Amino acid sequence: MLEREIVVVGAGPAGLSAAIEAAGAGARVLCIDLNMRPGGQLFKQIHKFFGSSAHRSGTRGIDIGRMMLDEAEDKGVELWLGSTVIGLFPGNKVGVRHGQDGTAGAFVTVHAQKIIVAAGASENVVRFDGWTTPGVMGAGAAQTMVNVNHVKPGRRVVMLGSGNVGLIVSYQLMQAGCEVAALVEAAPKIGGYAVHAAKIARAGVPIYTSHTIKRVVPDESGRVCRVVIVGLDDAFQEIPGTEREIEADTVAIGAGLKPTTELLALLKCDFTFHPVWGRVPLHNRDMETSQEGVYIAGDTTGVEEANTALEEGRIAGISAAAALGYLSEDEAKARKDEIWARLAALRMGPFGEKREQAKQDILSAFDESRGGLAAV
Amino acid sequence: MTTYDVTVIGAGAIGSSVAYHLCEKGFKVALIDKGDIAHGSSSHCDAVALICDKQPGLDTRMGAASIAHYAELAQKFEYDFEFDRKGCLYVCETDAEYEAASAYAARQAADGYEMGMVDNKTLCEMEPYLAKDMVGGIWTPGDAAMSPYKVCFAFTYEAEKLGLTKYTYCNISSVTPVSGGFHLSTDQGELMTGKIVNCGGVWAPDIGALSGLSIPIQPRKGMNLISEKCEKISFHKVLEFGYMMSKFDSINFKRNVSPLVEEYNVAFNIEYTHANNVLLGGYRGFRGFDIRSEVEAMKAIAERGLRFYPVLRDINCIRSYAGVRPFIEDHLPIVSEVDTLPGYFIAAGHEGDGICLSPITGKLMAQLVAGEETDFDISGLDFARFAAQKASA
Repeated sequence: MLEREIVVVGAGPAGLSAAIEAAGAGARVLCIDLNMRPGGQLFKQIHKFFGSSAHRSGTRGIDIGRMMLDEAEDKGVELWLGSTVIGLFPGNKVGVRHGQDGTAGAFVTVHAQKIIVAAGASENVVRFDGWTTPGVMGAGAAQTMVNVNHVKPGRRVVMLGSGNVGLIVSYQLMQAGCEVAALVEAAPKIGGYAVHAAKIARAGVPIYTSHTIKRVVPDESGRVCRVVIVGLDDAFQEIPGTEREIEADTVAIGAGLKPTTELLALLKCDFTFHPVWGRVPLHNRDMETSQEGVYIAGDTTGVEEANTALEEGRIAGISAAAALGYLSEDEAKARKDEIWARLAALRMGPFGEKREQAKQDILSAFDESRGGLAAV
Repeated sequence: MTTYDVTVIGAGAIGSSVAYHLCEKGFKVALIDKGDIAHGSSSHCDAVALICDKQPGLDTRMGAASIAHYAELAQKFEYDFEFDRKGCLYVCETDAEYEAASAYAARQAADGYEMGMVDNKTLCEMEPYLAKDMVGGIWTPGDAAMSPYKVCFAFTYEAEKLGLTKYTYCNISSVTPVSGGFHLSTDQGELMTGKIVNCGGVWAPDIGALSGLSIPIQPRKGMNLISEKCEKISFHKVLEFGYMMSKFDSINFKRNVSPLVEEYNVAFNIEYTHANNVLLGGYRGFRGFDIRSEVEAMKAIAERGLRFYPVLRDINCIRSYAGVRPFIEDHLPIVSEVDTLPGYFIAAGHEGDGICLSPITGKLMAQLVAGEETDFDISGLDFARFAAQKASA
């Protein structure tokens, strides 16, 4: 069995920042990611970030990813790519299907003193008649195809969902040369930022709010060739007679994301159900779960965005390093307090408030589960 | 306050069967569980009903009667629980195992059970994917497989037709003996019941404690691997004879296995399910109620599986799961009334045989509750045996 001080699962923004912080403090860190290149969602994000200058607004996600990779390398973070963590086991054991250096597929068990899970999120699907037809995919998958692999997913796309993912990916598909035939949203109004929606509207994409996809019609080869959408009433029930056919060969579903938490469930970490985030693991202000020595950060804790993931990753990295004795308690606390303040700032405004409240709820639920002993 | 003739506590394979058999006798029955139907061990196990893994005598008799009863129920029930009398092969790796297995099979055959030995050639024909170097095995054609949680669903579904009332996600806070029976306080209201049957499995001691009873059942962990869907690679229930050894510590064969397999007490068994996945077992260990998967145990199960079915090398494992079995030191369940607390019955402690013995346990317990003579003598399953042990110790 291999020994490492800290194993970080996931090399996206949360995982990389956790690894950078912990390694910067002097810990021996191994960061594992199932993709062949690290950076997670950052490498799909060719758009510039919003927010304050402290959070690199105006910088493209892909550039942030490159900077973080350089930094991780400088700090001596060990990276295993193309490697899948298949399980976390009692006694802080990490089971890895190790994919590098000719050992493809070898199963390795790594014993870690501390584990940080930053496994991100997965896309929700919407089930309609024909939802498994080739040509129907997640909006995130479509984004990976155009921005990472430089492949167009199709010629004419219907986007379902008008959150920021649906809006941004629609625009990026157009930039890549796809035609966006329609943007379909079940709610009565657009879910994402108005600035993104305006870009789509200006480009002439028809936007159907209070609509959903009723079914997808395949052609002779079995691929998507027509999409039937239908109007919805206030109770999200279909209104008969409002069906409309759209010619398209691709459907992208941007119906939100859910935290990837299976590894934590395997360890029997305590979970809660929160209306904003769904079923998520409990954690304290150190980002530590109910299992001692197991930390979480980023979308795994509840889906937000890259900046909050980066900051939470830092807290997890600092906490794990401090627990190993690489940082004094005072120093760790001062740095974490600063980050929590920045996180509070990121979670302001009409889109942020809900998330700030959710985060506070999770922290309180953790304390309650510990018999009301608040971690100060 | 709602009043019942009998309240069954625990809705696993044992409790659901007891509830069904009581309803069948015309009792007004409540079935209470702190979770859902089949929420505990009965959905965290594999499912076979075998006689070829039983100790000669009462143990085997219970098994044979249960399998026969299963066959009747499968005919009778509307609810399909995937009963499949596929037969069981106990394979022997060495001549020494084969010799011991032959003696065991001869003894069972002498008792009238259909059980015999097959040689290497027959084994290879019956199980073409089995490793070719097995000496032979025990063949028991009557042994069966089924879906464990569907067994529970089937019993409760059929019992509800006969008037069963279910209380799921219901916690009991107190059990008070009163005139004519017991008063139960639960988070779903107060209940009066003439009799109680504690079918709590590994949780039976907690339920017993509410009535001041000390029930000597411990959780014993088991673990299985599940494969991806694949072609049928196994046509019968197949186990290694060394499985006996892990089940009954008294039978002491030294197997030629790696330290890892030895340490985790892993004995090979394989089952090809109706859903086209392979279930691969198994391991037994004492870890309290911790049912998290253990990576070393997974490796050991896989290693032992490859020894018997080399073809598994090309099939992916997609999952593992564990559960806890209700272990009793003498490997016999408790199926009896509590002599110190009349009207209070216990049917628990079947360890790895709860699914197998579910039908017969339900039938016998219903006979006990009704004050009838049981189909055969089960005084060996009496709860009083523990008090006697204590007294003599």
